[in-house]
Amino acid sequence: MSTTKKMKYREALAIAMAEAMEDPRSLLIGQGVTDFKGIWGTTTGLPQKFPKRVIETPLSEDGVAGICMGASLNGMYPINTHIRADFGLLIFNQLINLAAKYRYMFGGLFEVPMMFRMVIGRSWGQGAQHSQSFQSLLGHIPGLVVIMPSNPQSIIQSYRHARKHHKGPVVMFEHRLMYELEFEDKPNQDLLNPFGSRIDREGGDLTIVATSVMVLEAARAADYLSQFGINAEIIDLHSISHPDNDLIFNSVKKTGRLLVADTSWLPYGVAAEMSRVIAERDPAILKQPIKSLGMQPAPCPTAKTLEDFYYPDVRDIVNASASLVHGGDDHSVPLPPKQAMTDFYKHFKGPF
Amino acid sequence: MSEINQSYEKLFYEALRIRLVEEKIIELYPHDKIQSPVHLSIGQEAVAVGLCSQMKLDDWLFINYRGHAFYLAKGGPLPELFAELYGKRTGLSKGKAGSMHLAAPKHGVMGASAVVGSTISHAVGAALASKIRGEDRSFVTVFGDGATEQGAYHESLNFASLHNLPVLFLCENNGLAVHSPLGERQAFSLTAHAKAYGVESAVIEDGYDFVKLSAICGKVLGQIKNKQRPMLLEVKTCRYKEHVGPGEDFEAGYRELKEIQAWKAKDPLEFDKELIARFTPAISEEINAAVEFAETSPFPTIDDLLTDVI
Repeated sequence: MSTTKKMKYREALAIAMAEAMEDPRSLLIGQGVTDFKGIWGTTTGLPQKFPKRVIETPLSEDGVAGICMGASLNGMYPINTHIRADFGLLIFNQLINLAAKYRYMFGGLFEVPMMFRMVIGRSWGQGAQHSQSFQSLLGHIPGLVVIMPSNPQSIIQSYRHARKHHKGPVVMFEHRLMYELEFEDKPNQDLLNPFGSRIDREGGDLTIVATSVMVLEAARAADYLSQFGINAEIIDLHSISHPDNDLIFNSVKKTGRLLVADTSWLPYGVAAEMSRVIAERDPAILKQPIKSLGMQPAPCPTAKTLEDFYYPDVRDIVNASASLVHGGDDHSVPLPPKQAMTDFYKHFKGPF
Repeated sequence: MSEINQSYEKLFYEALRIRLVEEKIIELYPHDKIQSPVHLSIGQEAVAVGLCSQMKLDDWLFINYRGHAFYLAKGGPLPELFAELYGKRTGLSKGKAGSMHLAAPKHGVMGASAVVGSTISHAVGAALASKIRGEDRSFVTVFGDGATEQGAYHESLNFASLHNLPVLFLCENNGLAVHSPLGERQAFSLTAHAKAYGVESAVIEDGYDFVKLSAICGKVLGQIKNKQRPMLLEVKTCRYKEHVGPGEDFEAGYRELKEIQAWKAKDPLEFDKELIARFTPAISEEINAAVEFAETSPFPTIDDLLTDVI
């Protein structure tokens, strides 16, 4: 009998970092990597063990990203942390103008393997500048690999794969809301391409393509829907830059219905890209028009009452799914009460 | 012949070679075979020659879009440069880089960016990597006066000083950022600013004097290694041509022709007619062979379009 292992998202990150630092090429560098909080415990203990290669930085995101470029050109594997993805905006010049292009622009003369960890915040008043989710901005850029791990196993596998096998810059969008959540191991996850999209749950009535924390919310909705005879197939997109379009297309071909649940805004985003994939290949596979859920088209408000309206929740996913399956909003599926993810999981207490 | 004269002649040859290469580019430009914005170093060659005459092969140099001179002075191959300018597959970067992104890693030329100031921090990071591994190397970043207004320059100085990194920050101060004079851009003194970060600096006023440049660069490169500290070297120089392109633009009125004429009067590449006459035939032969190589090389094809993306 196999025992089910349980692990927190944060613990997987700590394992991934500890494993990385055993490689003498690795350089862990960022604001807070040596402080007593250690990026919520994901770097704790490493500065003492590897004092030369775990480096606290001035608040100089642009300069530090360029320092990572130089270190990478000179044989290191920099891992640059950003405790909020919003602060990562300050490295976009190095990331987009330089890192993403150094291999191509020089005809293959250079490789710049490196990793950027960017943490998306949500709830407890994170507000407009501690909550943004920039995966589609970066997924747009050739030369970057953009990953949104949704569980501990995918963290350990994809971070290891990035270090050992990928020769270019990888952006990992971590979600703060999941840090303290405990996950059970998923069977067969070891067989997957570490940078690939994956089927998280099989079902025949509709396909839900979800990113990051929305994979969890989709799973809650799928559990609920199953009571009413609706079986949702959930695809954990995982790779924003290089989604497995065959996997997605074939799932939608099977179910005929697609709902995309993303952590960011909808225009020009993940849902738009998924819609492009289906529309260009064969829109005739759709039994219903595509539906999408994401943040409301405004900066994120701080007040909890407003924030609860701002992010889609399990009720929205159930409603959208039932509408897809029953061909309209007058479906007979009773909706669960509106409940913010933070209220359900009760793990993220703030303040940061 | 004395030691100094030999050195003068050797450096003169290197500087003249760069000037003649860029004059060939000017000659070829109207034919539209070089379809890449060129930022010429004519007038500034001595900086590259003086610096690179003192750099070892494994001392790395991080350059910028005005990069022909540094690429050549550090040993980047000439035929592959012309092929790159022509957009040919035999270019150092297979025609994907052009004039603004020169690199020759085998010769320690570690890339050029067309975004002002964006490779300065690369030298700092490369120095950090070598320091972690305990290597005895030095790193140089070259940039113009405009780049010193970028935040990344300040951030790089601070980090290099904080971590005791052997980086030479070399500013080619030609007094112009595109068409804007220094007085419209800077409220700070470059050397006083560096001092605030604990970074020593030296200033060379006569940036046409490659012998002096070579001697001082040798000294400062030795110092950054011995002390394991960064240094700033500011070299006053003079851009004879327009910001981008093969021409001159004195009629535009943003600077005075007489300033350039005064500078040219002191530039050995202008007045030393004897050496110009002596060295030109051999250099021209080398340049013509390089152009011929570029002319006869194949263009990249659709098979190259999507290679080396990730």
